[in-house]
Amino acid sequence: MADYADLMQNVEGGKKDLVMTQVAQFLSEGRPPQEVLQEGLIAAMDAVGAKMESEEMFIPEVLRAAKTMEAGLEILQPHLAVGDVTVSGTVLIGTVKGDLHDIGKNLVAMLLSSAGFKVIDLGINVEPRSFAAKVEETGADFIGLSALLTTTMPMMEQTLEALETAGLRGRVRVLVGGAPVTQAWADQIGADGYASDAGAAIKVAKELGAVSS
Amino acid sequence: MRDRTPFEPVIQLRHLSDDTKQRIFDAALQVLADVGASVSHPEGVELLVRSGCTLDDSGLLRVPPSAVERALSTVPSSFALYDRSGSQAMTLGGNNVYFGTGSDLMWQYDVETGEHRPSGLDDIARVARVCDGLPNIDFVMSGAYPTDLGPQGVYLATFLTMMRNTTKPLVLVAENEVDLGAIIDTAADLRGGAERLREAPYLLAYVEPVSPLLHPRESIAKLLLCADAGVPVAYVPAPLAGATSPISSGGHVVQGMAECLLGLVVHQLRAPGAPFMFGVNQGSLDMVSGQPSYTAIESFMNYLTIVEMAKWLRLPNWGISGCTDSQAIDAQLGLEVAELTLLSMLLGSNLNHDVGFMGFGLTGSLEEIVITDEFVSMNKKLLSGVPAEDLDLAVEAIAGVGPKGHYLGHPHTRAHLRKGPGQWRPGLLNRDNRDRWVEAGSVDLREKARRKALAILQTDPPAPLDPGLLQRADARMNTLRRETV
Ligand code: B1M
Repeated sequence: MADYADLMQNVEGGKKDLVMTQVAQFLSEGRPPQEVLQEGLIAAMDAVGAKMESEEMFIPEVLRAAKTMEAGLEILQPHLAVGDVTVSGTVLIGTVKGDLHDIGKNLVAMLLSSAGFKVIDLGINVEPRSFAAKVEETGADFIGLSALLTTTMPMMEQTLEALETAGLRGRVRVLVGGAPVTQAWADQIGADGYASDAGAAIKVAKELGAVSS
Repeated sequence: MRDRTPFEPVIQLRHLSDDTKQRIFDAALQVLADVGASVSHPEGVELLVRSGCTLDDSGLLRVPPSAVERALSTVPSSFALYDRSGSQAMTLGGNNVYFGTGSDLMWQYDVETGEHRPSGLDDIARVARVCDGLPNIDFVMSGAYPTDLGPQGVYLATFLTMMRNTTKPLVLVAENEVDLGAIIDTAADLRGGAERLREAPYLLAYVEPVSPLLHPRESIAKLLLCADAGVPVAYVPAPLAGATSPISSGGHVVQGMAECLLGLVVHQLRAPGAPFMFGVNQGSLDMVSGQPSYTAIESFMNYLTIVEMAKWLRLPNWGISGCTDSQAIDAQLGLEVAELTLLSMLLGSNLNHDVGFMGFGLTGSLEEIVITDEFVSMNKKLLSGVPAEDLDLAVEAIAGVGPKGHYLGHPHTRAHLRKGPGQWRPGLLNRDNRDRWVEAGSVDLREKARRKALAILQTDPPAPLDPGLLQRADARMNTLRRETV
């Protein structure tokens, strides 16, 4: 059993260069890439998640750890088989048209990527059509829609319609959230999932992923 | 409405030295000049570039200190708001302190049932009615977002409901220049013409840029519309410390000021001397949960700095009061409302909004508005201070009563019961002894506030508006709905 404690610590501490060197080192020692990924990088992020939960780590530190993990992953990537890396799937995320609020969306994106999702952030004020076009382009598994204004909530519905029109609705799970959004609204417009905060968003995305695969 | 003497605290809180304030201001100027900002409004950009700002290839607009200085030399240091009937009601500037609600809450604690439920248009009417009946609430914001209406024309509908239910001056949010235009036209109609509205503004528009350093098309469009119409406008960013602004108090204020001052520059270029309100909302983000806060103690520190900077720049300021992060009408609510409201009073902060806000700007409570009104009333007494020149030392009364006597029968006591050093009478706070309190039903502050709100809702509403005015407003509403569908 290889000892990944040091690597995990460095991921947590945001020591990017060290993590990259260590990952390369493990590979040159002949460790299985899957093992480095699971027992090193992903285990490190699980530990970070737990520390966030217990209020030992702050969001900016978690963000740095996630970036560090990604750096390690880059070294690992060429050695992994297709499908090994995107542990959880690809998420297209954005704030809907007419809405400029992005702090919550950014937090959700950050936690999704630290939980192993590949996240493509389309930013704010995103047209329904753009979501649909991007699904085609990227083959995303999930769409995450954020709305903070009651006036922009209908844009979620229109985005679902745009996906339907483009014949893509069946290909993606749609997750919605934001202060005015509720489970009832998600049900009403036919979204696949709703989350009240970033932590819940990860949980729901994972559940949806498990259902679809 | 009565044109009351403005309240100005005698006891005042200041903690920054002139040197510190100069450094903060210089840093804000440096951000404007060196970092710049992104302004997504072609006409606004043109206006700025024509007067010495520069636009680089990446779209960043840089504002030289001279442009800010020029704007500061033309902007008025005070302006007035007038009530529905056209009487002057508030003089914003100096250390005059005023209170009012906030806008757009999505949820309400129902005053009748205690239930936490989505807000509707009726809630806007109720907030306005209750504020109308409370002597220490000076202006009104919607207090609720009408989730029972479709999105088209909501802010015009909100405005009309407010205007029907209170005569106090209004502070308004709008989506863009189109609905704000319809609101301003209706206000001008009420006054009998755009010029009359300019002379006696009935409303102030609350417009926000997006931190960090982003000025959306709609924000600039609303700002310019207000400049043209002579309608006072507050251009106030809401940076969350640690998320959309630096986490340090200094950095938060510097960035927020740079954002607000860019608005000031555009506004004064368009209409030199038009009424403008300075401010930075003082939120912060909890670095563990990601939950934002209005009442984290660090954000209060930012708030002190922001208001002191406004005073130093001699600009009327946008402030905050009467709000809490609590999710319940509980002791935390009382504590946070009290601290924030007292700070605003001590600072001489001018236009203090968000009375009645709970749970970081998502839930509203009429009880909280009523409680804040009482708190303001009591502290107006405290902060009027003991008048030095009129210090009633009562030596004669002391001599008259002498040892072993009492003052209950002395004329001096009777003469002062209702004035000067006499007693402030609580409307809600309990002064009963245990037995009497129990006999009266053991009613706590929340319940008393609830009953007072309900009692105000039973009183007669303000006089109805001219049907012609309402008809013309309806026509504007129809146009707005057609245009935005
Ligand atoms: C994909 O799956 C998911 C899953 C979960 C998801 C998700 C997606 N997206 C979010 N979640 C969830 O997880 C996140 C993390 O836990 C959470 O995200 P949140 O975004 O809820 O939480 C964030 C971590 C922090 N929260 C926030 O960042 C929002 C805070 C409040 C105060 C707020 C802010 C900061 C701002 N605002 Co705005 N703003 C308010 C907000 C009040 C509030 N308490 O929500 C709200 C939303 N704003 C409002 C308004 C009215 C406005 N705002 C406006 C502007 C702004 C600022 C630019 C100043 C700024 C945004 C800056 C930015 N870069 O985002 C204007 C509109 C601009 C526009 N077109 O978008 C303007 C119209 C005001 C004006 N005067 O012009 C109100 C909306 C009322 C309504 N019913 O629609 C409001 C409730 C405040 C209020 N009471 O007035 C969850 O909701």
